[in-house]
Amino acid sequence: MNVFAGVGGGAEGTEDAPTNGGSVLPEVTPHKIAVCQLVHVFAPPAQAGGGTVPPFPFESVAHHNRLGLFLFTLTRSCEDFLEPPLEELLRKLKAVDNLTNGWLCEQLTRTLSGLTSPDDLFDFFDKLRGVLTAPEGAGVEDVLLDPNSQLGVFLRCCILSFNSMTFEGVCHILANLVAYCSSAEGSYDLAEDEDYDTEMSNLMDADIGARSGIFDKYNQGYAAESHIGESSSAHAPLSLHDFDDGNAMKTDDNPTCLRSRWQLEAYLNQQADVLEKDPSSVPLNSFNATLTQLQTLAPELHRVQFLQYLNALSHDDYVGSLDNLHRYFDYSAGMQGLFTRSVSPSQDIIVGKYESALLCLGNLHCHFGHPKKALEAFTEAVRVSQMHVQRPLVSFGPNASTKLRTCPADVCKNLRLSSRVLTDFGNDVLSTSNDNGSFSTSWLRNLSAASNSWCSSSAESRKLHKNDFDNFYYHAQPSPVPASILQLAGSTYLLRATAWEHYGSAPMVRMNALVYATCFADAASSSDLSLAYVKLIQQLAVFKGYSAAFCALKLAEKKFPSSTSSHIQLLRMQLLHERALHRGHLKVAEQICDEFGVLSSSVCGVDIELKTEASLRRARTLLAAKQFGQAATVANSLYSTCYKYNMQVENASVLLLLAEIHKKSDNAVLGLPYALASQSFCKAFNLDLLEASATLTLAELWLALGPSHARRALSLVYQSLPMILGHGGLELRARAHIVLAKCHLCDPKFSVSEDPSAVLDPLTQATEDLQVLEYHEMAAEAYYLKATAYNHLGRLDEREDAAASFKEHITALENPLNEEDSLAY
Amino acid sequence: MASAKETYRAELRSAARQLGERCLYSAAKWAAELLVGVESDAGPAASAAMDSPSSSSAASVGRLLHLHRSGEVGSSFRHRSRPGGGGSSSEVGTPLGNVSYVSTPIPDDDAFDTGGDKYLLAKTYFDCREYRRAAHVLQNQGGRKAVFLRCYALYMAGEKRKEEEMIELEGSLGKSNAINQELVALERELSTYRRTGSIDSFGLYLFGIILRDKGCEGLARTILVESVNSYPWNWSAWSELQSLCTSSDILNNLNLKNHWMKDFFLANAYLELKMHEEALKRYERLNGVFRCSGYIQAQIATVQYSMKDLDEAEVIFEELLRTDPFRVDSMDIYSNLLYAKESMSALSFLAHRVFLTDKYRAESCCIMANYYSLKGQHEKSVLYFRRALKLNRKYLSAWTLMGHEYVELKNTPAAIDAYRRAVDINPRDYRAWYGLGQIYEMMGMPFYALYYFRKSSYLQPNDARLWIAMAQCYESDPLQMIEEAIKCYERAANSNDTEGIALHQLAKLHRMLGQSEEAALLQEGFRENGS
Repeated sequence: MNVFAGVGGGAEGTEDAPTNGGSVLPEVTPHKIAVCQLVHVFAPPAQAGGGTVPPFPFESVAHHNRLGLFLFTLTRSCEDFLEPPLEELLRKLKAVDNLTNGWLCEQLTRTLSGLTSPDDLFDFFDKLRGVLTAPEGAGVEDVLLDPNSQLGVFLRCCILSFNSMTFEGVCHILANLVAYCSSAEGSYDLAEDEDYDTEMSNLMDADIGARSGIFDKYNQGYAAESHIGESSSAHAPLSLHDFDDGNAMKTDDNPTCLRSRWQLEAYLNQQADVLEKDPSSVPLNSFNATLTQLQTLAPELHRVQFLQYLNALSHDDYVGSLDNLHRYFDYSAGMQGLFTRSVSPSQDIIVGKYESALLCLGNLHCHFGHPKKALEAFTEAVRVSQMHVQRPLVSFGPNASTKLRTCPADVCKNLRLSSRVLTDFGNDVLSTSNDNGSFSTSWLRNLSAASNSWCSSSAESRKLHKNDFDNFYYHAQPSPVPASILQLAGSTYLLRATAWEHYGSAPMVRMNALVYATCFADAASSSDLSLAYVKLIQQLAVFKGYSAAFCALKLAEKKFPSSTSSHIQLLRMQLLHERALHRGHLKVAEQICDEFGVLSSSVCGVDIELKTEASLRRARTLLAAKQFGQAATVANSLYSTCYKYNMQVENASVLLLLAEIHKKSDNAVLGLPYALASQSFCKAFNLDLLEASATLTLAELWLALGPSHARRALSLVYQSLPMILGHGGLELRARAHIVLAKCHLCDPKFSVSEDPSAVLDPLTQATEDLQVLEYHEMAAEAYYLKATAYNHLGRLDEREDAAASFKEHITALENPLNEEDSLAY
Repeated sequence: MASAKETYRAELRSAARQLGERCLYSAAKWAAELLVGVESDAGPAASAAMDSPSSSSAASVGRLLHLHRSGEVGSSFRHRSRPGGGGSSSEVGTPLGNVSYVSTPIPDDDAFDTGGDKYLLAKTYFDCREYRRAAHVLQNQGGRKAVFLRCYALYMAGEKRKEEEMIELEGSLGKSNAINQELVALERELSTYRRTGSIDSFGLYLFGIILRDKGCEGLARTILVESVNSYPWNWSAWSELQSLCTSSDILNNLNLKNHWMKDFFLANAYLELKMHEEALKRYERLNGVFRCSGYIQAQIATVQYSMKDLDEAEVIFEELLRTDPFRVDSMDIYSNLLYAKESMSALSFLAHRVFLTDKYRAESCCIMANYYSLKGQHEKSVLYFRRALKLNRKYLSAWTLMGHEYVELKNTPAAIDAYRRAVDINPRDYRAWYGLGQIYEMMGMPFYALYYFRKSSYLQPNDARLWIAMAQCYESDPLQMIEEAIKCYERAANSNDTEGIALHQLAKLHRMLGQSEEAALLQEGFRENGS
């Protein structure tokens, strides 16, 4: 039994319509008739004895091919959901037509206006049949058009559709044809390029309002394009205006004819990509109006509702997105599942669909910051899929993102599974066609842009050009994998990077973020991509120092304007804060801390991660300012918050910070239990790098208890060294080196003169690293130790050098010059 | 007293004639039905029921409700429905104090103005559904009546063509952008007349529906209010106005004159807005004067069905069918009632009768569908629901009921689709929201289902079933959100949870959480309720 019986059209008439995206005959519309006529010119019916190649009126084969390519793109492009008015078609045609002096345009308008009675239409389609069939006495090779080519199929569909049409349908076409032709009459003459200048000068004296009206009309081609949103956000107000304009035109003059279903879907997919990549370029209300118009014209095209969901989501409209999400999945009944473009067994699609619904719901809750609800939705998605199918499913990735906070241990397993699933999925999808129409769209758009080069004087249109060419080159090679899948695959890498961040493997973080930024940048949304950049820049800061990081940050800020990317903004503050702390610019550090505080108490919702980060930084600033009591208070309250919200990673680092505070305030004994607790926490959750860091702190604490504990401290340092040297950043490595040297120096059984390199090598390494970091306090300590060691060895010159460096750093620390510099980069 | 009734009769008599003259058939039919429905003057106390709308006291409402809620099968109604039968009149308020009604003079235009013969011809064309011909005859004819009929004929011609085009143009994407081509010209013409003051109330009515078709609902309301204020007897205008009142706020802000027709309007509007008690109150009062009106009885029965007073409603419907055996209006509600009571034979009798009367009515198809559904033949039921929807695409309850049938057929995607269409036609239909929730719950998606249950309980906050359904989702194995479940059960227990499910479940959950005291307390309450 067909499960969709009775759902399809909501009316009995459509019951037998193909349900699973099979090909539906396109409606014959005036625009299609115009294209058919052009095809007829392109490939005139074969004549007995063979015609000339290229046929009249083409001058060369290249010229002939140009029209062919033009027609091909016309049938594939998806820049809008309505078919273009005749005026626009003629303008584009002129770009091909300039060699024949407008013969094509003239011939087209003449033919179209000649179709005035039903019988004319019958004759017209009769004539078209000649394009595809060879006359008697002629060979098959005389036929110019392959019936199985894109244009051949198009022509056959139109002819078939006309033949199966009722008389009422023919009458409708005639009525529409009149409107279609009359829509072009008014402005056709104006659109002559060579006439434009004189027209323009004549109009100079005329009423300005009228002139702008004409100008608008002339620009109407752009109106249809600019609300697509490929241009930058500067276009937002423009497109709003254009939309109204275009709308008025469409309803008044041009009969509203939808493009083919294939083109509509391609249009919607393209819009979805734009929304996902750069939501700020799409104004909420005007795009919604566009979608509503499309919905009234095609109520059974439910994917429109999905776009409405996306639109609401990307503009943070919770209620709107929730309602549209549910509406879309209620209606589509599996027929337009998220990823399904191929025909697959219906039961499969249905389950896939409900699972997609839950995944989307989960994403929605994620987006609005409801991790618990998101987790429920994802869990339900997994459960539903397990209930119904054997096929592996794509829900692990998103699931992981919410679980990450509470139980990072599960994540890697899931991620590995998901990548396998994605590979499977990629294989599935590879078999289907992946031309999404963007190639044709941009070809066509560039054609008209080139032919209208006179208007490129305005900044907007130039920008439009540039973007179009970008698009043209990037998409010239259609990607074998649909963008949604690419995106999903990409986000697994991003997730992996985050997971490794928790485990504490810097190289793995770097590698995954790099893979993401290089391989998936095209499909990524700007927010995800900026996240990958943030991770890479953080790595730079930790491993290469601040100057390198700030260089990269400048580039990133250029790529992602700060207004759109909160990630980048946050990163800037993090880097500035770290550097200020290291340089000892405490006032600046405090100022940035205050900014963090403001961000975390934002009015539009509480981000618990941001809140904990703000307190953590406050505690560290207080610690640097030697306000131990206050620092401990802040850290203690932070610990209870983290404990309450099950934030394990933060728990461990806060404990470590508390140990640090006690260490710095010379209460090593009190610090020990915190360090131990942190260490066991890290062990329990496999946070390896943090564990090494805790071990190092433990060693420092033991060391602070007196030289008798030097041995124990040394063994702890050795224990942590492999992890720290392999994965730790500059600061951690330097600290480890210093502690190592200190252990040796404190050890009464150790003599520097016997093994100078055991102390000097780590210290040299540490000073080099700290120099890069501009970490004055620790650098001073390292130089001090170095000077002591040289002193023991009796190497006086080197001792003086080290002492001078020591003094330099101490001075910089104690008399911070130009604190304001710390805010610049 | 009798003269007041005589006034109603006189008003309705001339209204039916005037409306008929203007080819406003259904309004004329409604007026004529009501005219016959005015109680004969035999009983002196009978007309007492019409008290002024402003003097309704809360006490009398309570008393009425109490009467209707008590299970004594509709006896009170039977008494009242008999003309002159005592007993009922005492309970309904003050005698007819017509002071607060604004009396509206009946416009006198029965005499033909110039060109009367042409009007006669045009009307006959109109009666034969030759609309364009009718409009053509009236070209260049002055006089408001002729102008109205010409415009109305054009509008009808446009509507007819639109209906045809809707079928002609329907493509694979369900495209239905057919519009009435006459709207623009008519709107322009009528707005000119309105500006110059040369428009009558019928013209205003036409202007109102044109504006509604164009999507200018606010202006349409204003115009329709003007129309009913100047000519209150056009029921079509009232019902168009009612369909534009989608919330009680809009309803309360209408600036309506206090004519007795307003009571009919308000009662109907209250019914549609699910303010059942207010609706019932008004209908009871109207019933005092228009005792024999089938319309009022059907409406009362509908209200009572909506309030789940099935027995009383059934009595009224039976009586109605006895006096008006070929009635189809409202009979779909009766069939729903019989379905709910599982009266197989009565339902089959009803289905047979409406089938013989007029099988191509959406209501008839719905009745037959209900019959097959009760028989357990769900495929056939779906077939008839679909036929009903073909006849009237906006027939809300058919979409919902068809959803139920698809659930029975285990065709969940189709059921979801059907429910969703119902919800999109009327977002306040809590049954369809509830149905959607149930399906998703059945599919093992309790978290997803919560959204729908939340919607339905928001619309019908005093319905215990909805809260229980939501609680069951929260309580289900995958979610295990016990605290939320308890909150929902508490809401249910505070609503009309007659079966005591909520209390029972509450006790169970409390015991599960180790709160034995609360559990014991609830158990006790449960036992008390049960006894």
